[in-house]
Amino acid sequence: MDGAILCLPDDDWQRGGVQPAMMPASTDALIRLKTLSKHYGSHTVLDGIDLDVRSGEVLAIIGPSGSGKSTLLRCINYLEPPDGGTITIGSMTIDAARPVARAELSGLRRRVGMVFQSFNLFPHMSVLRNVSLAQERVLGRGRAEAEERSMQLLKRVGLADKATQFPVRCSGGQQQRIAIARSLALDPEIMLFDEPTSALDPELGLEVLAVMRELAETGMTMIVVTHEMGFAENVSDTVMIMADGHIVEKGPSKEIMRNPQQERTKRFLRAVHDR
Amino acid sequence: MNAADLLPLLRGLTWTVALTAGAFFIGAVLGVPLLAARRSRLWLLRFMAMSVIQIVRAIPPILWLFIIFFGLGMGVMPISPFNAALMGLGLIAAANLAEIYRGAVASIHFGQWEAAAALDLGRWSTFRDIVAPQAFRVALPSAASYLIGLMKETAVASTIGVAELAYQGNQLSQLTFRGLEVFALVGLFYVLLSLPISWLSRVADGYLRAKVAR
Repeated sequence: MDGAILCLPDDDWQRGGVQPAMMPASTDALIRLKTLSKHYGSHTVLDGIDLDVRSGEVLAIIGPSGSGKSTLLRCINYLEPPDGGTITIGSMTIDAARPVARAELSGLRRRVGMVFQSFNLFPHMSVLRNVSLAQERVLGRGRAEAEERSMQLLKRVGLADKATQFPVRCSGGQQQRIAIARSLALDPEIMLFDEPTSALDPELGLEVLAVMRELAETGMTMIVVTHEMGFAENVSDTVMIMADGHIVEKGPSKEIMRNPQQERTKRFLRAVHDR
Repeated sequence: MNAADLLPLLRGLTWTVALTAGAFFIGAVLGVPLLAARRSRLWLLRFMAMSVIQIVRAIPPILWLFIIFFGLGMGVMPISPFNAALMGLGLIAAANLAEIYRGAVASIHFGQWEAAAALDLGRWSTFRDIVAPQAFRVALPSAASYLIGLMKETAVASTIGVAELAYQGNQLSQLTFRGLEVFALVGLFYVLLSLPISWLSRVADGYLRAKVAR
């Protein structure tokens, strides 16, 4: 994967300005957010976010707590409905200003997989059933077909031997890998990761990062909210820093991580390195 | 007291079991739509469900049975004592079980709902596959306790002439003048009825817990 600059550091639009009017977005964007906003009462969590993500791109979102990273991710698949702006996935556009039809929401979520910080596996089902269920209910696959596909995915994340176990018998790292397999089972075009290793100790986090790295190498489009600076620098193509509901800076991962332009980015990265 | 005296008590026992099982079944089934209304996005439905639950639970069971049997039964539609008791206790069970269900559903971690939504499972599948099985396990001990309470509450049906255990005990004590033995025996029957409910609840809870606990 290349590390193409999607949005050059331009202060105006990075602060939630008027990017679409100022510079035409790349035409091959798989995900395009335009002036996406979200408020909780009078508190602005996302302040007119403009963002393009190309097919096959791995975007890491970093930034301080409360910067709106997770909310942005959750708005993309409508777990948090945004208050304004549009979300375009391929040819499908959802306008937050009008009510979203169930079919639109369904179309969005089938194309976008999500992995949570706390795994959120279904504790009353076996590992295999966790991965198979949505295939049967959503894609209409038969049980045998769904289980065959699930076993392939469990093998891919190195957990085929856990298929008959219940999630509670698995370590945190294993549970997160199962959650990734569960999400992949719906054949999404895009995977969203919301701090996937934050609940894990460093060693268990590594096994999850290895699966994510492998997924990135297959060309999966990924948006990863993370505090793993190594992943941001070495696996992702692009890094985006957020603060106070704005995009502070965005560009090729190595460039941003080694030579940030914005003072806010420098301060954040300094704090990370000083820990 | 001789063996023949036991027969009416055993007949009463079968009515107690039938009334308990029937009312619990009605309550368990009706509790589901009541829960759905209680959690509805429409405030009017929520308000109506809340009102029904509040009113049903606030009025004493004996009064419900009088309202149905002497009120509806005498004026609106003829109804047998057993059916009146079944209807009244079923209604009360529905209100109570709806609240037990509500507590159980509320205890499901929000991450489960989010995971189901992210997988696009839809409302029905989320309820059937994710929420209901987990809520069932949470509700089981409370529902079993309520079932034992309901079994004891069926004694109130004797006031409208249902020949259940307490009614038969009362009859027998008046015939034999041996109230202490008769009512002690009736009490023993109630205890014996509660034992399998407690046992089954513990076994089911233990089994379900073992699957999700380390």
